[in-house]
Amino acid sequence: MIRIFLRQLPFIKNAAIIALSLVVGALALTGPANAQRNEAAESFVNKLASEAIEILGRESLSPVDREAAFRMLFVGNMDVPRIGAFALGQYVRTPTSEQKVEYLRLVEDFIVKVYATRLSDYTNQVFNILSSQPKGNRGTEIIVTSQIEFKTGRAPVPVEWWLLRDGDSFKVFDVKVVGIWMAQEQRSSFISVIRNNNGDFNALLTHIEERIGEKADEINSKLTDAETAGG
Amino acid sequence: MKNESGKGFIRIGVAGISLALLLAGCATRPDAGDTAATAAYEEANDPIEPLNRYFFEVNNFLDIIILRPTAEIYDGVLPRFAKNGIRNFLDNLRSPVIIANDLLQGQWDRAGTTTSRFGINTTVGLLGLGDPATGWGYQRHGEDFGQTLAVYGVGEGPYFYAPLLGPAPPRDLVGFGVDTFFDPITYIFWDDAYTVPVTRFVLNGIDLRARNLTTLDEIERTSIDYYAAIRSLYRQSRSDEILNGVTDVDALPDISNINLSSDF
Repeated sequence: MIRIFLRQLPFIKNAAIIALSLVVGALALTGPANAQRNEAAESFVNKLASEAIEILGRESLSPVDREAAFRMLFVGNMDVPRIGAFALGQYVRTPTSEQKVEYLRLVEDFIVKVYATRLSDYTNQVFNILSSQPKGNRGTEIIVTSQIEFKTGRAPVPVEWWLLRDGDSFKVFDVKVVGIWMAQEQRSSFISVIRNNNGDFNALLTHIEERIGEKADEINSKLTDAETAGG
Repeated sequence: MKNESGKGFIRIGVAGISLALLLAGCATRPDAGDTAATAAYEEANDPIEPLNRYFFEVNNFLDIIILRPTAEIYDGVLPRFAKNGIRNFLDNLRSPVIIANDLLQGQWDRAGTTTSRFGINTTVGLLGLGDPATGWGYQRHGEDFGQTLAVYGVGEGPYFYAPLLGPAPPRDLVGFGVDTFFDPITYIFWDDAYTVPVTRFVLNGIDLRARNLTTLDEIERTSIDYYAAIRSLYRQSRSDEILNGVTDVDALPDISNINLSSDF
């Protein structure tokens, strides 16, 4: 018995080598797809999204505190200056230093409010990371794909995150919800306002200021509604 | 007689639109020296912006006085199962158009899915009022001839905002026309007034509006320029539909070198 086994050993060895090379080959084929996924980026998004959804749905906080908590989380993790610059298109060269400072302050406020309004529809839902892939070949940008699943059985909402490497961590440049990149949408509006006011940058600042004022009221009433509905 | 007056009405409409075009003129192309304004003008790709904004306002006005109140009543009065039944029924009626475009795009699997959905929902789903197909693993997807043209490489063309119809740049306007030919409903009519297709168009509009009551409000309140925001949303959601929801990473803009702070 043992002798037969020994006699067949070379064959078994060959078979093993063939099997091993097949496995290696298969790994090499699937390898790139897996290697393209970025675990650090995925866990960054998972943490950020879960915290954002948790904060917006936290009922123990007053609406004002809730927005403050969301802002803290948001501003620390978003690349606001880059979003602001992107939203201006070629007009990025036109504001004076004072206008730039004012613009950055307003745009941060504005974006926080836009995101808080749109994300507050998704509180108390299940968030899942699906995949990630690099953008460009510098290795500095990553697109993370995720979805929000509904307990009601409604079709899940796809959400994509455009990340930029920032030291050991990441910053979010843009988020795509149901096919819409938010920064792209802002850019379209911002450029349109400046152009339709003959390049007057102050017109944009005024428009943003007006919207922030209105939205502050709206967000407060929305969060209060959620509170009364929840409590 | 009815047909005659209908044609007359269309003729007056066409004349009116041409007159409006003449009166409103086109958006003035910025001075070539003003690079930022020129870039903005080209990025917007909206040469008849003043006219489009006018139609946008007209539609918003009609929305406020007719569509929105109707949609609110529809949303408030009908129970959820009735609204879902109507949506399913309308979706099911659209299946032949979706199958035709799935096939034209060479998407055999998706054509199969739509065909299965149509068969299941028309029979088990009681003439399309129910949607058992989704539960059986046949998820719904939309398709139209505008998307088919895009798959064949036809560009969207300059932006056009049509009265009643909403955003309809040339490619999608042509698509809308061709889809009407694909649609069996177009050929079903009991009288000259095209009762069935017209009813379907109106009901579809009311149902869509009712489903987007809060979403559209939210967009209006979170945008600095509602018209430009809708233009961007339309284009983005169209390109997302054309790619069937898959992000084309290479088509995204290069943002690695833009910044605001370095010029301080």
